[in-house]
Amino acid sequence: MASMVSAQQSSSAKQRERLGKYLVHLIIIVICFLTVFPFVWMLSTAFKPADEVFTRDIRIIPNDPILSNFPDAFRYFPVAHWFWNSFGIAVLTTLGKLIISVPAAFAFARLRFRGDKFFFAMVLATMIVPGVVTIVPNYVLVSDLNWLNTWAGVVIPSLPATAFYVFLLRQNILTLPQDLIDAARLDGASTLKLLWQIVIPNVRPAIAVVTILAFLGAWNQYLWPLLILNDFESKTLAVGMQFFSSNTESAQLWGPMMATATIATLPPLIIYAFAQKQIISTFVTSGIKG
Amino acid sequence: MASIRSTKQAALPTQETSQGGVRWYRIMESVTPYLLIAPLLFLIAVFIYWPLIYSTYLSFFDWNFVRPDKTFVGWDNYTRLLDDPRFSRALRGTWIYFVALIPIQVFLPLGLAMLLWPIRRARTQSAYRIMLFSPTVIAWSVGAVMWLWIFNPLQGLLNKLLAEFGVERINWLSDRDTAIWAVIIVATWKSLGFHLILYLAALEAVPDDYVEAAALDGASNWQIMRTIRFPLITPTFFFVLVTTVISVNEDVFGAINVLTDGGPFESTTNIIYYLYEQGFQYFQIGAASAVSVLLFLATVLLTWVQFRFIERHVHYG
Repeated sequence: MASMVSAQQSSSAKQRERLGKYLVHLIIIVICFLTVFPFVWMLSTAFKPADEVFTRDIRIIPNDPILSNFPDAFRYFPVAHWFWNSFGIAVLTTLGKLIISVPAAFAFARLRFRGDKFFFAMVLATMIVPGVVTIVPNYVLVSDLNWLNTWAGVVIPSLPATAFYVFLLRQNILTLPQDLIDAARLDGASTLKLLWQIVIPNVRPAIAVVTILAFLGAWNQYLWPLLILNDFESKTLAVGMQFFSSNTESAQLWGPMMATATIATLPPLIIYAFAQKQIISTFVTSGIKG
Repeated sequence: MASIRSTKQAALPTQETSQGGVRWYRIMESVTPYLLIAPLLFLIAVFIYWPLIYSTYLSFFDWNFVRPDKTFVGWDNYTRLLDDPRFSRALRGTWIYFVALIPIQVFLPLGLAMLLWPIRRARTQSAYRIMLFSPTVIAWSVGAVMWLWIFNPLQGLLNKLLAEFGVERINWLSDRDTAIWAVIIVATWKSLGFHLILYLAALEAVPDDYVEAAALDGASNWQIMRTIRFPLITPTFFFVLVTTVISVNEDVFGAINVLTDGGPFESTTNIIYYLYEQGFQYFQIGAASAVSVLLFLATVLLTWVQFRFIERHVHYG
């Protein structure tokens, strides 16, 4: 008797637990739907002919899907230029950030030298300087150097905003076993050799994550390139979006506009889909600690 | 000077190296750390620290980028801000974004991470993660253009949807009561993912033995989450809080610029947008610099307050 009661109780508890689980999935699915839907609507519009864009009813799959919005986008706006600028600026920014951050992260993690703590604090302190605080003087400098409307004007001033990556890489380098480094030292490896042959190959996953995050950040950058790239053809895809909102004539071109937005969206989405596991596991080993 | 941590002495090169070679090697080794950090520190000095000083200098002058001479005006740029109604409207906007978005960006992803984390089926969890993170990996301006289309008063999805329920047309972006909420909706959608990933990674890093010990003592899942997992991820929580306070108003710039241009009647303007307008639309370099200086001081103060009063509750594993 008693055992039956307890069995019943436990089965109802199990039922409740299962119900809770379904509820959790339901909540998450609703939120997922809300986050993904703007993308779906963008794609839907990008494949709709003009007369379907303006119908009263809500249709996700176009009755008569077309591809012509994409070539139209290239015809109406300099999308090819914008894409090339986004790509070039993102690649150069990423390379530049890696070249300055990886050696510094290694020095701060594994070398002792006079002033090491001070210099590291100088780097970390840049995290509390909001980017906009520096835009006026940097704009003056870039225009004095005649770098307006150039990639250099966008790329070089944005390189030092890399404290988070230096921190992430340093944390990763700190987790390498000391034996590995001692062994290399006993073999007479110089500091540079140690960095190049031992440290970099062993923190390759973290470097990959920094590469991806830096690329995404540069591809998506908005305010700074908005100031520097004024010529219509010198803009990036992200900056080109502003033209859509401020130009009323283009307001009737929702199809080609959404096609352009799709083109701007695809590279980061594809990169992220492949890299997401790596990103999480790097954050796990780095242990973000304030 | 340059030795490897916890190894007392770096091993010297093998015997065949001459005396001079050893000295050269030692000199090189002591200079190397500085060479490794030099490029980073040089760029930081030129493009972050020097601008801070130069902004402060410019904030005491009247200048418009183009004129060769700058006129010294003392504190005028600062006192004029206090008289500018646009500035007070920008402060109001800044405050609304703060109050609305900090809880949304700090707590919503935390709650979501706590729901998502116990889902152990890897495929399901990763599918959810990809969907929830997708707005985070695209540009603010691109996301804003998607929403520009959704909020469009005549043809936009939102009004079409509401029309099904008999709701009259709402001019989301040109009505001063709704525009700022439209920006906040976009910002919520856009920024959910990154903090979610940080929290998930932190939960993943909690050692299993703590949790198992508590489970043996009969603690429920929720108790374990509250008394063990949450305290252990407080460093991440604090990191998210501090960085959100610094960046939240700067982040929404792209959305404001694309969706509303700061309008209607400056109802969606914040201090970042005000700075941008002063500097790059009216070319009031002095005023823009004064705003920069105030913004920097406010950021330092806010960060200090958080370290002073909140950090003591953080458990560093």
